[in-house]
Amino acid sequence: MWLPILFLLIGLTLGLLTDFQVPEEYADYLSIAVLAAFDTLLGGIRAHLEGKFDQRVFVSGFFFNVSLAALLAFLGVQLGIDLYLAAVFAFGVRLFQNIALIRRYMIERSRKKKEDEKNRRK
Amino acid sequence: MDVSLRYKILFSIIFASVGFMIAIQFQSTQNSEQRDTRDLWEVRKELQNQQKVQQQLYNKIAELDEMIAQYEGQTQAAKVETLKESIQVLKREAGLTEVSGEGIVIKVTPIFQNIDSEQTYPSVSPGLLHRLVNELNTYGASDIAISSERITNVSPIRDVNGHTYVNNHPIPPLPITIKVLSENASRLLDYMQVSQSKDDFAIENLELEMSKREELTLPAYEQIPKLKYLEVENRETGES
Repeated sequence: MWLPILFLLIGLTLGLLTDFQVPEEYADYLSIAVLAAFDTLLGGIRAHLEGKFDQRVFVSGFFFNVSLAALLAFLGVQLGIDLYLAAVFAFGVRLFQNIALIRRYMIERSRKKKEDEKNRRK
Repeated sequence: MDVSLRYKILFSIIFASVGFMIAIQFQSTQNSEQRDTRDLWEVRKELQNQQKVQQQLYNKIAELDEMIAQYEGQTQAAKVETLKESIQVLKREAGLTEVSGEGIVIKVTPIFQNIDSEQTYPSVSPGLLHRLVNELNTYGASDIAISSERITNVSPIRDVNGHTYVNNHPIPPLPITIKVLSENASRLLDYMQVSQSKDDFAIENLELEMSKREELTLPAYEQIPKLKYLEVENRETGES
């Protein structure tokens, strides 16, 4: 459990230390890739809480979503449509849904814990 | 390799890449302001320019202060006299009076080549005149007159139905003379002898003949200067 968080921190520090900046033309791609990554991570956490976490689904979902988002942004640039907004919208909605579900599971879990403790005291 | 370990490693790589992406995105959006990439010499040059501007402004302030002192320390009649004098100075600066002094005369004449094909009689285009005037100003001309049209700060040189107009008057057909006053006429002449304008005019079959004159008189700008975008400022008196 701690290994991924450690690596997340390693990635963050590596990114901050490299002093690397994406050119403005490609900023859209990166932002949408970041959004896709967030979506996948939160989806993974939700699935984990629901107890139906599948590593294969998670890993493939991450790469697929990120590349699909970038592809959509690229297609939008080529066609002259702000197609990346579609990806932003889709990921944004899913992000909110996932966060809401995670919150509910958290609340239910804490409620259950309290009830269990009550039952145990009895 | 153990399956769970492999997944753990894959997981860690994913998390690291997510962190990396976030960090780069953060950096790209945070530090996107323009960096100062001028080197030492460019900065020095800029500093020098600004110092020059500052010096000019100081000189102007000193002049105006002197004028104020003149106004304040004088009787009514003398005040009027000073006012007239400053009006005269301003008129001369704006090109509304005749001026004379040392300068050069540039004669623009057509070049006729010995070729069989027909050649049209050349004319001076506004673009050429623009370049010439710019070059003259660069090399220290104080006053310029194209044929009998005095060039002021607001003088238009433009093409009207195929004819070149200066000050809204068509310039006469070639040859025309351009009179230029300068504080250092021989230097200006030297510069103009080797100037780019000479080549530019030659391309259009025009020749520039230049000569220095000790005494040269330029006509005044004859129209009422149009000051469309200037407004009288009345901050001191509060009137409008």
